[in-house]
Amino acid sequence: MKVGELDIELDQDGFMKAPELWSRDVAFAIAGDEGIDEMSEDHWRVVEFIRGYWQEHDQAPAVRLICKEIGVGVRQIYKLFASGPARGACRVAGLPKPDGCV
Amino acid sequence: MDRIIYMDNAATSFPKPDAVHDAVRDFYKVNGVNPGRSGCDLAVAAEEMIHGTRKRLSAFFNPGATTDPNRLVFTLNATMSLNLVINGVVGPGDHVVTTLLEHNSVIRPVNHRVLEGAEATYVAPDAEGYLDPEEIRKAIRKTTKLVVVNHGSNVTGVVQDIAAIGAVCRDEGVPLAVDSAQTAGVLPLDMKACNIAFLTFTGHKGLFGPTGTGGICVADDAEIRGTIYGGTGVRSAVPYHLEEYPYRLEAGTQNLAGIAGLRAGLDFIEQRGRQAIYEHEMGLFTRLQEGLDGVKGVKLWGTKRLDARVATLSMTVENYDASDVGTILDVEYGIQTRTGLHCAPLIHEHHGTVPRGTIRMSVGPFNTEEHIDTAIRAVTEIAADRPA
Repeated sequence: MKVGELDIELDQDGFMKAPELWSRDVAFAIAGDEGIDEMSEDHWRVVEFIRGYWQEHDQAPAVRLICKEIGVGVRQIYKLFASGPARGACRVAGLPKPDGCV
Repeated sequence: MDRIIYMDNAATSFPKPDAVHDAVRDFYKVNGVNPGRSGCDLAVAAEEMIHGTRKRLSAFFNPGATTDPNRLVFTLNATMSLNLVINGVVGPGDHVVTTLLEHNSVIRPVNHRVLEGAEATYVAPDAEGYLDPEEIRKAIRKTTKLVVVNHGSNVTGVVQDIAAIGAVCRDEGVPLAVDSAQTAGVLPLDMKACNIAFLTFTGHKGLFGPTGTGGICVADDAEIRGTIYGGTGVRSAVPYHLEEYPYRLEAGTQNLAGIAGLRAGLDFIEQRGRQAIYEHEMGLFTRLQEGLDGVKGVKLWGTKRLDARVATLSMTVENYDASDVGTILDVEYGIQTRTGLHCAPLIHEHHGTVPRGTIRMSVGPFNTEEHIDTAIRAVTEIAADRPA
């Protein structure tokens, strides 16, 4: 994925291979890939919380925590990110693919 | 959401009986020394507790049989037990028969054996998930050294007819290993009657012990090579690992606190009654299955039989990724489930639930009718609101 002058490499599931290259411009690009036409304030609140939590804890936050901290319901997050918090929101936040039993 | 409804007992039973917490804390506080490694009173008491638990578990899996309790060896979990069995029985050039129902704790060690020159056959169950013992017979070759079968599926709860499979293995002269991770403590399993050579178990599910406990019960006439070596606390001058049980398969200091908790778990089963626990779980499971069966947009996978199964159910909701349903159940309803492939990818392929898997609900002894009714309501509401 080309963002400005940068080549942003994604893994086979669409997550950033080099999360340190993340920027708002990268987020816009991945959001477009997720089918999000416009990043609203609510989108950014979710993305910034996930990104900040990941930088501090080296893992994505539990969805329950996102809802509590942002003050939104889980279905609202699905409305913001159609592919869900674990995929869509984490991708836009520039996280590497979260582990999970799939 | 403060209240949690825990329905992931197939992963680990939770909560544990209070007596298990007490036993771990109390035994470790009073006797938390290296068992059997010295002659001091505390070490002797610790070893006696381990040996007593060994004897009880041996009798649990061998009712009425006069077996050597030292052939019940402790491990850290069912995965370690299965690795010890598979790596200790199957070598290059050997053949192993197993099934599509298995957990990765079988699939992966078997596949690693194959990388090193062994051969493997994976027997498919029927559409409901039940194995035909004759299919196992057909898969056995002259070079077959082991048959490995899971007693109860961690995905759909189907329980295999181990006695019939054991009879086939007896006819063919091949040792049978049974993975009882989902059934030990829940269903009776008589090693002798079922011709089981190696019975592997975990302590932290139906036996109500802490995580980090498990083991293998090795039949009197079965052989297994030791594949881990180290300290045994006895005959330290011998340069190689000891051949006799339990040392052959146990090296290093055991999980003393965990085994004390496992012993308390056995007490809990005896007090409440294994059959009573099973009937409680299956009563709730029946309510759950009946409540979900026919809900528009919900599909149940595997068998709907109420016999020959444990209280584990797999489902999908149309147009929803399984993990998303699990997230909504968790966040909006406080219901803890397990979604995905459950470390058992081949049975998901067989049922057609790859790549995203299913939502699994597994009932335990501390679940109630209210929990089940909440789960049914939650899934029904989620299905009604599913994406187009």
